[in-house]
Amino acid sequence: MKRRNESKAYLYLAPAVILAALFCWYPAIIGFVQSFLTVNASGKVLGFAGLSNYRSLFADKAFQNSLKVSLRFIVLFVPANTFVTLLAASMTRRKSRFSAIPEYVFFAPVAVSLSAYSLIMKDLFRGNASVINKITGLKMGWITEPAGAMATLVILGIFLDFGIDYILLMCAFRSSDKSVLEAARMDGAGGWRLFLQIELPLIRETTLVTIFLALKDAILISAPIIILTEGGPYRSTETVMFYYYLEAFKSGNRGVQNALSALVIVIAAIFMALYNSRRRAR
Amino acid sequence: MKRKPIDIFRYYLRIVLLIAFSIVVAFPVLYMISSSLFSQRDFNKLRVLPTTPMWSNYIKALNHRYFSYYLVNSIGTSLLSAIIRTLVVIFASFALTHLQFRGKKLILSALVLTLFVPQEAILYQNYKTIANLGLLDSWTAIIAPGLFSAAQMLLLMGSFTAQGRDTYDAARMDGASDMRYIWSVLVPLSGPATLTIMIQTLITSFNSYLWPLLVTNKPKTRTIQIGITMLGFAESGETGAQMATLALITIPFLIILAFTKRRIENALIRR
Amino acid sequence: MRKAIIILLALLAIAPVFAQGAAEKETTTVTVWSSAQGSNQTVFDEIAQTFNDTIGKEKGINFEAVYQGKASDVLTKVNAASGTDSLPDIAMMDATAATDMNSSEYLVTVDKLGIDTSDIIDCAIASYSSEKGLLGLPFNASALLYYYNKTLYDAAGVTAPRTLDDMVQVAKKTGKLNADGSFEVAAFVGVPATFELSTFIGAQNGLSYLVNNRNGHDARPTEVLFGKEGTYAAFLEKWKAVYDTGYMNAISSGTTAEFTSGRAAALLASSSNLASIIKAVAGEFEVGVAAVPMVNEQATGGTVISGGALFSFTDSAAVKTVLEYLISPEVQAKWSEATGYVPVTTTAYETEQYKAFLSENPQYQVALDSLLNSNAGLANVWVPSAYSIYYSFQANIVDVLKEAKTIPAAVDEMVATIEAAFEAYASQN
Repeated sequence: MKRRNESKAYLYLAPAVILAALFCWYPAIIGFVQSFLTVNASGKVLGFAGLSNYRSLFADKAFQNSLKVSLRFIVLFVPANTFVTLLAASMTRRKSRFSAIPEYVFFAPVAVSLSAYSLIMKDLFRGNASVINKITGLKMGWITEPAGAMATLVILGIFLDFGIDYILLMCAFRSSDKSVLEAARMDGAGGWRLFLQIELPLIRETTLVTIFLALKDAILISAPIIILTEGGPYRSTETVMFYYYLEAFKSGNRGVQNALSALVIVIAAIFMALYNSRRRAR
Repeated sequence: MKRKPIDIFRYYLRIVLLIAFSIVVAFPVLYMISSSLFSQRDFNKLRVLPTTPMWSNYIKALNHRYFSYYLVNSIGTSLLSAIIRTLVVIFASFALTHLQFRGKKLILSALVLTLFVPQEAILYQNYKTIANLGLLDSWTAIIAPGLFSAAQMLLLMGSFTAQGRDTYDAARMDGASDMRYIWSVLVPLSGPATLTIMIQTLITSFNSYLWPLLVTNKPKTRTIQIGITMLGFAESGETGAQMATLALITIPFLIILAFTKRRIENALIRR
Repeated sequence: MRKAIIILLALLAIAPVFAQGAAEKETTTVTVWSSAQGSNQTVFDEIAQTFNDTIGKEKGINFEAVYQGKASDVLTKVNAASGTDSLPDIAMMDATAATDMNSSEYLVTVDKLGIDTSDIIDCAIASYSSEKGLLGLPFNASALLYYYNKTLYDAAGVTAPRTLDDMVQVAKKTGKLNADGSFEVAAFVGVPATFELSTFIGAQNGLSYLVNNRNGHDARPTEVLFGKEGTYAAFLEKWKAVYDTGYMNAISSGTTAEFTSGRAAALLASSSNLASIIKAVAGEFEVGVAAVPMVNEQATGGTVISGGALFSFTDSAAVKTVLEYLISPEVQAKWSEATGYVPVTTTAYETEQYKAFLSENPQYQVALDSLLNSNAGLANVWVPSAYSIYYSFQANIVDVLKEAKTIPAAVDEMVATIEAAFEAYASQN
């Protein structure tokens, strides 16, 4: 009976294990091992490379630049995204007669795909002569100049994450313990004080989740860049993962590609570990 | 209770702000719909509303020779991944929560470890695997790497553990098979979690861009997300037709969302 | 439920079949990946259709043109598909593909296919020849042109600049600023990259190369020449002078739209954009084209031939038939008229149809003349990591223009960047 039970368990787990092995462990390990080897564009191993792949990665001006670009994006995007989604969620945190309408509007971005938003933004933020400048009266070069392209990318990033973050935060507000709120109100807390000292801390968990989601998206962003700016102008939106895409698929530079792949996995692992330990500590 | 004037002011201020915010958030989609009726001149003149609606943009979009392929591939692959991934995750979670076997801890940690490896970082190696298996340009290629998710497995395991093993043992006593137990007890009881997994997968899969771009070379195997960037409308001065295509694939989802919003909220709000 | 799973698995198994659609029977399909953008792709599709209705029908060949994005996207796809059965029969790519194609084990050279290339113009043959022979069949050749708003130039009483020194004068007369300092009309829009520099540098002193081994055509390049020969510095100096007039809008994307909407008076672009630019301007002003301005009086080399070629990966009679069709005089003439590409065969010029077309559309003559009058030794640049180098050039030039980086520092940095790419490539191949 037990034996049968065991083999049955393995059978149930087999699909998951096979998929994880084939599309996660295997590529991660191969990438890691090959980061210490010299591999040609078509994948043939030519010899041992030691740390030279890592050395040429860090010596590459384009990589150094991509680190800066990614950092800039993270610093701009994560707080902006958190602020904007929190704002939307808190404005609609209480159900009222017409709240279903803004709720729908704020949730709707989940129904708009990445390529759709990217193409729309590409048109809206075309350059000096663009619809956005015409409406707002701004004089910004948007995707034609470095600062503007970064701004456009941040805005696009916010739209891509907006719907899901909003619904998580809004539902968190509404799941908050009503008795705590009532008690605080009895004590005379109201308005801003109630919001900042009671309501916001109550959804700390969910906020943290959305911040980590944003951080993850910010570190890994590449697809919107392919459509929106192709890393330009002048590499000003060439993030680390877009650089990886260029090196792996456009230049076929396996050394740099594998070294970077290994590096990103290590960084991701550190982030995940930090996140988990924080959660566990609570 | 009589309201103080300051409160009334605040009340209206909030409504005005909310309306303004909603317009900003909805603007790109509204612009997409409006510009789907633009002539090229409207685009050049930076208009927000069309001078005269060009319905022909929609005809052009629908008549694009690959549009129907793109759509079928997108719907097909996202439905398949949603169903298969949910099944894979259900079986794995069931085994890990309900059965005793050797190496359980090891397998669980190994599966959870996949959380630490972002797909984006192993893009090339996965591409190589699919290419070596001769699977390029197939639905299998598009969906395969995304058929297992450790995050979703953990979510479901949480829900499965909550059901307790007692019910399972009782069901076994009554001679119910595992399959029967899973489908008539476990899954219905963890309905919201299962539904969340399916919807999540459906959306991510429908929206994925980079991976399908890499593994599809034939227009007839491309998904809509890749297709819309390769229609060539914008390059040949027919941006309106491009926007019409975007509208055609976005509006159905906006409608579905309007009907399912309440349900999703109910699943997410703890009371 | 078990049934449902079986059905699903069955679905998954047949999915590839379904996704490929109904299989074509008995005809040989020749897949051509193309990088023709927008209306150029429409023309290419028409050319394929004509083939299928005539020669193809007769010989049982189906010519399938597949748009894969820009030339760089096609290269990305080809590299990724190398060694898989997804590799197309033919791919349309440009000079950025040459290094990879030269070392590709899957490439079938034109010589191997046995195609008669005696009618093809010399500079087109030279542009895709390496020590291995003719790598790709020239199909969409083009020349860099100086496009200008002729209506505006006439009103300002200037003609297209002959040298970059002239360009400074022209810029002062054609540029206009708004009260807040933004461009009402920029005298010039764009930032040069590898493509433009292969002419700006190549034409200097009659003939110069950016990198050794004849820009990488004779053998893999190992050394950068534009640094020690001072050709890049000479260009940067003159280019900065144009920028310093304050009328150059140095942006790298959306430049064509700036020009066609009248917000920029001139730009450098390939002759392949001629038809689409004229179409986009839609008669709002007259489009003029001229040869690329010379860097200085000694820069007499002319214009390097650019554009693309058709690289084959299948050695078959069907592929040969399709390629021969594509360089036939009729197809070349049609392709040129509808796009602005230069016909690659001398026979195409001699068709009555094309002669008549040229006399009605003199703008098309400019590209042709500038190519035929150029030094035959001029060559496009073959370097590894071409895309990365392309971006580096743009960033480097903008640093000089806007960030006040000194020219010697910029040149040194560019030399180092390219030589690092050579080293990385050498160690992996």
